[in-house]
Amino acid sequence: MGGSDRDKGLRSVAIAILLAGSILLAGCAGTVPPSKTLKVIAAGSLLAPFAEAEQEFEASHPDIDVQIEGHGSIQVIRQVTDLGRTADVIAVADESLIPDLMYHPMKDSSRNYTDWYQPLSTNEMVIAYTNRSRYHDEINQENWYRILARPDVRLGFSNPMLDAAGYRSLMVLQLAEEEYSEPLLFETLVTDHFPSTITVSSGTGGTTISLPEIMRPSDEKVVIRDGSIYLLSLLSAGGIDYAIEYRSVAEGMNLSYVTLPPSIHLGSAEYADRYRDVTVILGFPRFATIGSERNGRPIVYAVTVPANAPNPDLALEFIGYIANESAKGRPGWPAPLPEGAVS
Amino acid sequence: MVVLLLTIVVFSLIIAGCTAPVQDSLAADWRLTINGTTEKVLTMNDLRALPAVNGHGYCVSTTGFRFGPYTCKGVDLRDLAGVAGGVGEGRQVWVSAPDGYLWVFDADQLEGRGFVTFDENLKEIPSPPLRIILMYEQNGTPLSYDDGGPARIAIISEQPGVITEGSAWVKWVDRIEIRD
Repeated sequence: MGGSDRDKGLRSVAIAILLAGSILLAGCAGTVPPSKTLKVIAAGSLLAPFAEAEQEFEASHPDIDVQIEGHGSIQVIRQVTDLGRTADVIAVADESLIPDLMYHPMKDSSRNYTDWYQPLSTNEMVIAYTNRSRYHDEINQENWYRILARPDVRLGFSNPMLDAAGYRSLMVLQLAEEEYSEPLLFETLVTDHFPSTITVSSGTGGTTISLPEIMRPSDEKVVIRDGSIYLLSLLSAGGIDYAIEYRSVAEGMNLSYVTLPPSIHLGSAEYADRYRDVTVILGFPRFATIGSERNGRPIVYAVTVPANAPNPDLALEFIGYIANESAKGRPGWPAPLPEGAVS
Repeated sequence: MVVLLLTIVVFSLIIAGCTAPVQDSLAADWRLTINGTTEKVLTMNDLRALPAVNGHGYCVSTTGFRFGPYTCKGVDLRDLAGVAGGVGEGRQVWVSAPDGYLWVFDADQLEGRGFVTFDENLKEIPSPPLRIILMYEQNGTPLSYDDGGPARIAIISEQPGVITEGSAWVKWVDRIEIRD
């Protein structure tokens, strides 16, 4: 096992390199590798604020790796309930989804997926635009619906089948028709631009909008995309003039926007009865667990920790951080809930 | 040394999933019900016996997360519908899975029309010719459970790098209905 001095020298160098590599891999050279992963599954409109929270939380918890994954709100919950994945934090853009979909026993267990949720923040629908949008120098809170109705103006909203912002957009336009006593507004902005029948019926229970299975417009007046990021991309490129969006998303993207009256923007608990008058029935039940009816209600974001979360204490700490930051009303974050609104 | 090399090779194959007992069992147990003017139940062998098409598939989630690109092999949805009487004028194809997910295609989409397509930077591009297939092989291997196997919907083109919206890529398909 002997060898020349040269061999011994090479061996020493090799051992030193291996040791250095091991030390670096073990994180002993000044950085501490995260020892725990916090899995957060969140609604798409929370991804930008949660990305900020992730950085801040990790900075104060160097041993924690926060991993955030985004979906539509129903899909967020389905990751845990229908698809059997584990997550530490669930965050959705509609508080009613948590009791509807998670207050049920887990597979092979008598425990529910969760028995509680924390309302986090609220939002409102706005009309987002850029300085490339037609009539951007004319539009305001009084005339927005007349501007949108002009034949050469292109309007975008997300697919109601896939995105809560999509069916909420339809609710806003229907509520606007009543607010401004413009009986043809919904027809002019929506129904006239689909080859399949969209029916609007009114009765004692309010107004019901029934959608076809395929939401594909027949002309270029209306544009529908699966998620808001694609609408915003079109808006920036001039492919559409206006998009119906969450206020926090418009702010986060530095877009101009027109705010709407609280009686129609879906962000005010005071108008809950009014919002409840509008129902959207989707063309088919994309998810067997929730059916195809969506009722108007104030927008309230909510979070919970599934009963089988791997890191429940850490999840609660993260929720506490998010709630605290939300309450500050940070730019680009959904707005704080009004005092006394937390149940 | 030979024993060591053999051990490494076997271990690598296991890690790479090339032994695939789970996938074999997935495919063996899988049944596809097609309900049109008649009802047919197909096994994976039946599916593989139908004319296969190949193409490039790539999809994106509603929040902008991309899946792919893949090479995809499967059966054109029109051929599958043909097994149970075909898709007549104005009819739709409802595709569902045991996890409760459902998606609907109309006759235009079966012909590859009416989809939004993007380039790899998620910039919208004019749609090349597309086909909807029930995919059973992805990148040359049987579709894994995590990827929606043993069979899922894929929207494919001959041109690589074309991204389509992922909501239509139904995973774990077990039922196809042709409806008015």
